[in-house]
Amino acid sequence: MIAQLIEAARRRADGGADALWRRGERTTVAFEWGRLKSAGASEEAGANLRVRHHGRVGVAGTTATAAPPDELVGRALASAALGEELDLVFPALGPLPPLTTCFDRAANASLDDLIGIGRSLLAGLEREGCRVNVAVERETTATRVANSGGGSGEYRSTACGISADVWRIAGDDVLVVSDALEGADVPSDEALAALVASINARLDHALRVVEPPEGALPVVFTPAGLSALMLPVTQALSGKAVLQGISPLGAKVGQAVFDARLSLTDDPLRVGRTASRPVDDECVPSRTMRLVERGVVQGFIYDLETAARARAESTGHGTRGIFGKPVPAYTNIVVSDAGAQHAASLQLGGGLLGEIRDGLLVDELIGVGQGNVIGGAFSHPVALAYRIDRGEVTGRVKDAAVAGNAYDLWKRVTAFGTDARWTGSRWAPSVLFEGVSVVRR
Amino acid sequence: MIDRLTAALARSRADYTEIRVERTWSTAVSFRGRRLESATASEDQGGFVRALHAGGGWGVASFTSLDRLDAMVERAGELSRTVPVDPPIRLGAVPPHQADALLDLDGDVRGVPIAEKKRLLEACNGAMLGVSDRIVDTLAVYRDEVSEYWYVNSQGTVLHELRPDVTLSGTAVARRDGTIEKGLESIGMRRGWNSVQDKAPGFRAVAERAVELLDAPMVKGGTYPVILDPELAGVFIHEAFGHLSEADFVYENPQAREMMTLGRRFGKPVLNVGDNGAAPGLRGTLPFDDEGTATQDTTLIKDGILVGRLHSRETAAAMDERPTGNARAISFRHAPIVRMTNTYIAGGRGSFEDLIGDVKLGVYACGAFGGQTMLENFSFTAAYGRMIRDGRVAELVKDVVLAGNLFQTLDRIDHIAGDFRWNQMGGGCGKAGQFPLPVTEGAPHVRIEEALVGGDVGP
Repeated sequence: MIAQLIEAARRRADGGADALWRRGERTTVAFEWGRLKSAGASEEAGANLRVRHHGRVGVAGTTATAAPPDELVGRALASAALGEELDLVFPALGPLPPLTTCFDRAANASLDDLIGIGRSLLAGLEREGCRVNVAVERETTATRVANSGGGSGEYRSTACGISADVWRIAGDDVLVVSDALEGADVPSDEALAALVASINARLDHALRVVEPPEGALPVVFTPAGLSALMLPVTQALSGKAVLQGISPLGAKVGQAVFDARLSLTDDPLRVGRTASRPVDDECVPSRTMRLVERGVVQGFIYDLETAARARAESTGHGTRGIFGKPVPAYTNIVVSDAGAQHAASLQLGGGLLGEIRDGLLVDELIGVGQGNVIGGAFSHPVALAYRIDRGEVTGRVKDAAVAGNAYDLWKRVTAFGTDARWTGSRWAPSVLFEGVSVVRR
Repeated sequence: MIDRLTAALARSRADYTEIRVERTWSTAVSFRGRRLESATASEDQGGFVRALHAGGGWGVASFTSLDRLDAMVERAGELSRTVPVDPPIRLGAVPPHQADALLDLDGDVRGVPIAEKKRLLEACNGAMLGVSDRIVDTLAVYRDEVSEYWYVNSQGTVLHELRPDVTLSGTAVARRDGTIEKGLESIGMRRGWNSVQDKAPGFRAVAERAVELLDAPMVKGGTYPVILDPELAGVFIHEAFGHLSEADFVYENPQAREMMTLGRRFGKPVLNVGDNGAAPGLRGTLPFDDEGTATQDTTLIKDGILVGRLHSRETAAAMDERPTGNARAISFRHAPIVRMTNTYIAGGRGSFEDLIGDVKLGVYACGAFGGQTMLENFSFTAAYGRMIRDGRVAELVKDVVLAGNLFQTLDRIDHIAGDFRWNQMGGGCGKAGQFPLPVTEGAPHVRIEEALVGGDVGP
């Protein structure tokens, strides 16, 4: 369909066109409060078309893929008639990097396979007084991109997602500990066992509630807890924020802005990750991009439009759905300790707790993403956090909040942990910062 | 279409089958600063089937190609058979409805050229940009849709509806040196083109406030009597209490059921809370939910006591209560789950002045930049605040973040004014991957005798 679409668009739009076509099928099983409850299947196909006509750019999308291509072209042209002028060039075909995105086990996993995974998680997580929800899904997707400049690409990909949450309600105290695995292949038994162990370890430590500490304290953010500190940085490294003039890092390329041990990479070529792809959604071949190297800002992510406006090159971060226009977005963010040589450990706190006399381990915060994120200042109540007393976790802390400024904290990292792992599409270890403001309420 | 759906139903071998088909036309226009970011028209269509065999779990199937209708009905039935459930799923009784309901389109947006929509938005965006050269950036978004909706189930319900939705929102960013402040405006209605005319003054007002906030001090963190304006009070009741009243949270969880036992005191006798999916003209309003149950006004807290909860047919049967018409899905891609519609704190007595008259030092928290609840804990960021000093509204303050424990905070609501209003905003509610679901919140001014206000927490 995509070739006809580009052909139909080229006949009517004098500045060319590009399009994305995607078809996916997914199966899911869900265990609700410990019981297998539902099984689902879905099939979806759609196309997104962008045209340039009289120097103006317009976009249209549809899931009515049986309709004649001219309908979609007509809507894209109507969108372009209102659009701003943009010197958008559709890139010619470039060599695509080799990348495995399709895994047979995920493609062929049966409903019984998914149910089996769910049951094994339930068996590992069930305990007195707790209720468990588990969801398991797998999907296959076929993606095609093409443009009137001769660019094109296509790939099949698979994904498998598993999530579990354990609830314990005692009086008015609600405790939820959850974790998830997401990958392009069905996870190994070891990975499933690690998921169970991760939830159980955090649950064991959470059963006892202790008084929160207070003051400017050492705080360890777990790989999941790091979200509040990563979000301002990733927002500020988007070319879109730089163009808007709201990025605090906009004029800092080449400058050492962060601790010299911090490096940040966006890597669309990681094998086994669901965000990995050989080509972006605008026909730009994927490549690994260094965002921060040993504390020094290297550059920003761009899609074709933001690159054209910034007089830069697309970095291959164009991302589009069936509806709406492409936007620059990250694939797999890798946070690394630039000097790391240590062996991995999955211990809670990643080996950072030993030196802490009195502090906090933060696993989840409430309200991340609210307010003026890109400015770096944050203040969040804890959802799941633990007190650390003389190197040991002594229990769960409620009714406390942590506050600070992400850019300040990343300037003075005390230590990186040895427990790096994927949380969604971010790879990061636990990180220890000194002097984080902790308030009680 | 109805004939096609009933024919497909007739071929289903499951004990219960329902089919939903939607065809949605939408347009979206957005400005970033002075630049039009995009103006697009989209068409989305697809279907959803849910089937139940006696002793089986839910089998669900969704699809974008209507040619697949019969195959997906068959597939949903097979899926139900592969997941045995014991005790079996039962559905609360609902009378079959046959309705052809056209909600008030109030100026069908499909008949308005997209260039007109751009002009309307440009005026609102221009109102923000025109306030001051301190406004360094804006984002303005217009979005509308009309969804044609068909629903049939094997118990005789046949529905056909046209569902409109229109939203208009704006963010104004004010900046001076390193200080950045925001103002947000948001308007949303289950109506059409006529309902979003002449809205520029509201956009101007939020931009003016963003500029004013540049000079405002951060609120000093601490415990205060806090008055919530109707907007923030509405967001509070939705986020902090509403989600707990959704029965899918409690129906198979004995500890949760105990926490949410009907008859439990949740607040002082001034507190009355409900959810009304039948209130006219609001975004959460529809004649029927996505299981074909008629919507209604459900009282959740009466005189401070928990008296009700929100149900789907399944949760109602499991708890021996009645379905309340709260099973909703954001689109054909999803199964209906228990959701709120238009959630409210009912109006009390007296005026705003009566609430602040005896407050020596307090915070008046207004508007919402966001809110999140982790069950009994919540955090809300107000758009701005004003100090209350000696019974009067005093200086503007910023970074007003309210955080606390739901049960304690509800119990500390000691005064509710009579100035109830619905907050007809855009955006929507998210749950279990289904976002944004159109909902509305409503409340009068509400006083919390003591609440923790974060802000300038210092190192």
